[in-house]
Amino acid sequence: MTRLRVSIRLRLDGLFALIAYKHFINPRPILSPVPMQSTSIYTRDRCVTGIHGLDEILRGGIPYGSTVLAAGTCGSGKTTLAMEFLVRGALAGEACAHFTATEPSVKLLENIRQYAFFDMNMVDSGLINVFDMDVLYSWLGLEKASFDLDDVHALIKSIVDIVNTIGVTRLVIDSVTTLCYKIKSEQLIRDFLFTLGKKLATLGCTTILISEITSATENAHWSSFGVEEAIADGIIVMGDAERMGHLLRFLQVVKMRGTAHSRAKHAIELTPLGVMLIPMLKWGASTDKNSRWGQ
Amino acid sequence: MFELDQRIAEQLTQVSLGSAVQVRVGTSNSFMVTASTILPLMQMFEMGGVYISASRGAVEIIQAFEAIGIDVSNIHFLDLVSSGVLGGTDVEYSNITFIDSPIMLESTLLRTLYVLRTVNSQRNFVFLDSVNALAIYNDDRMLAEYLHTFINTFRQREVLSVILNVPDQTPPLVLANLDTYCTDLVDRGQVVLM
Repeated sequence: MTRLRVSIRLRLDGLFALIAYKHFINPRPILSPVPMQSTSIYTRDRCVTGIHGLDEILRGGIPYGSTVLAAGTCGSGKTTLAMEFLVRGALAGEACAHFTATEPSVKLLENIRQYAFFDMNMVDSGLINVFDMDVLYSWLGLEKASFDLDDVHALIKSIVDIVNTIGVTRLVIDSVTTLCYKIKSEQLIRDFLFTLGKKLATLGCTTILISEITSATENAHWSSFGVEEAIADGIIVMGDAERMGHLLRFLQVVKMRGTAHSRAKHAIELTPLGVMLIPMLKWGASTDKNSRWGQ
Repeated sequence: MFELDQRIAEQLTQVSLGSAVQVRVGTSNSFMVTASTILPLMQMFEMGGVYISASRGAVEIIQAFEAIGIDVSNIHFLDLVSSGVLGGTDVEYSNITFIDSPIMLESTLLRTLYVLRTVNSQRNFVFLDSVNALAIYNDDRMLAEYLHTFINTFRQREVLSVILNVPDQTPPLVLANLDTYCTDLVDRGQVVLM
């Protein structure tokens, strides 16, 4: 018995020695190639904004039916960005609507006519439809200082009816802040935005809600009432970076449900051809308080 | 009689679109070298382009070019200087865009890209005049980053970058980056005797 065990051990020792020898002579690569597994990743259809650089940031565009908050300080380019979003849609044959609460539609169109991307024929042909919120309030009998639940539902119904009737696929409300000032309860604002967003998504309408904020710094809220940012599918922040007394416009996609996206700060320029973006220089976008470059 | 440096034209025949040419000049030959670079680009290679003027106002540069018979109608000027001078932007040239300040580096890049989208010429250059002028206002690290982005942005778009600098007035970090990222060098920098 003892002899047999010794014999087996000797044979096994010889085998290991042979394996070790072969491995030494002809070693197997430590990282042998593993065939890639085919995976099918679901991607949502996109609403291609057509804005130079923005679709690249959003890896193809805004997921269809999303409600996106474009939050920014005054003069940061929110209205121009939103208007270009509509124009690019209209150029692709989509019906678009713009509800303006901050300035009369006539003034809005006069201001936007300076841009080469805008063509008044889009308004005349009904591809871009501009509505004054004041006129809408008047139609609905809502010429009052504050809205209650019934008023809010009437407002949602009228907006959704317009979207449904015209077949709007791109919508802008400029600004949701002005509109929400009339809604006194935070809960009612939440209900208004949630219900509106849900109904517009059902209709396949991609919406930009413009939100006015006073500061676009890191600790700021992205909306005036604090509830808009939680309800929205996406948040695009626009503001000014101060550099040695000069203001440089920037854009940052903070959140966008349904797509991977860049979260870097991008410098923007409002050119006659539309909004243009490039990544902001890292040494110029520093938030380090000790940095020579401020915020 | 203004005499151009013909060897620069010969050297430029070796570069391709998408190249980045560093042009080193001295303090006294800067305009001669600039003109000797711009002229062949426009006449021999029939290029158009963007001239970023950070060292002097665009009007002064245009008038200097016109005085030696260089037609600059195919060049769009981005003037980073004149906004800092009261009344400096009140000019009649339609091929000048004024940038608020030499520290608005991203705006300069975006405006250059915008102009390149609007020009008619098939082959274009971007002439940056000059790195040492930008270094007066910008931090070394930021300027190095800008030049890195600048060169790569235009290389990707097959636009020839020509970057002018006075080496002994350019921060070493920036100069080292230029040496690394530029594909060609036209060296007309003055020898400084210590």
